[in-house]
Amino acid sequence: MEELLNDVVPQEDLERFEKKYHHEQELDGEVSTETKFEYAFCLVRSRYTNDIRKGIMILEELARLHPDGRRDYIYYLAFGNARIKNYTEGLKYCRAFLEIESNDQVRSLEEYIKKQSDKEIAKGMAVAGGAALVLGGILAIAMAKNNRNRDK
Amino acid sequence: MADRAIKLLIIGESGVGKSSLIRRFVENKFDENHDVTIGMDFKSKVMNVDGIDYKVALWDTAGAERFRSLTPSFYRKALGAILVYDITNRDSLVKLEAWLAELDSYSDNPNIAIIVVGNKIDKDRVVDREEGRKFARKHRALFIETSAKCDQFVSDVFKEIVEKIVSSEYFGNGGGADSLDIANGNDNTAPSTCSC
Repeated sequence: MEELLNDVVPQEDLERFEKKYHHEQELDGEVSTETKFEYAFCLVRSRYTNDIRKGIMILEELARLHPDGRRDYIYYLAFGNARIKNYTEGLKYCRAFLEIESNDQVRSLEEYIKKQSDKEIAKGMAVAGGAALVLGGILAIAMAKNNRNRDK
Repeated sequence: MADRAIKLLIIGESGVGKSSLIRRFVENKFDENHDVTIGMDFKSKVMNVDGIDYKVALWDTAGAERFRSLTPSFYRKALGAILVYDITNRDSLVKLEAWLAELDSYSDNPNIAIIVVGNKIDKDRVVDREEGRKFARKHRALFIETSAKCDQFVSDVFKEIVEKIVSSEYFGNGGGADSLDIANGNDNTAPSTCSC
């Protein structure tokens, strides 16, 4: 799963579908579902967080308005959110998908997100623990100084 | 390890069993339900050929039409392609022509190794073995028939194509690996069909 999430979209692919998207927007005033999806599919695999967020926005709109392709949109919503470490959202989409359809691929993504989010929580606790230790140390020093002052 | 990586693509029509073959090979599991692949999926497995470990990266592509325009970049840097059809569905073999054309136009490796796989030999056959073999021969590809469900000849698919790749003169410096003798004359060999 990690390889899949780390695989970055080739720049030329992103540019090609971006151009197509803007072209349709300018020419027809609206963009076809297919083009929106193609562009979003590239965006969520970009190396830049802002691109991924933009891709997520497009996919959210597609999922709302076009039920027929929903499984693809929901999977890539989970995927994009996982890539920007938005684990709660990512899990939400995985579960929404699995409620409708059993799928090995989505289950692997769900497992991966769960593991990562547990890791983040553990890291957070370690940081908090570390902060407590530092704070404890400062207090200890202060108290020692205090004691010394009192001894004088 | 990194330079011992081999990227393989699995392509073919929707429902022929691409993901099932990978799943059987990597996890030794089979699921009767057809989990439709979304976009692409990835699994890897370390394979040992002549005492050398290779990390085989398996890129499983969705057979669904809507992803056709989106998957070309996945063809890049692939050293081998596994073309799968379903022996109970003649159309899936016919369509392999189009998949090969796609491979031709998007692959950046003119010497890409190809194996044609007729899957589902546990079911009633519609496509003769000879038809699949002929198609493979025409495109100078290896050929094999399998059952992901009954685990018949699945590992041979990966073994044959990886052996062909690592023994190829184009394979980036084998690093002292003795070359294998299977490059020639081994095309089209496949175990005989039997039901499971």
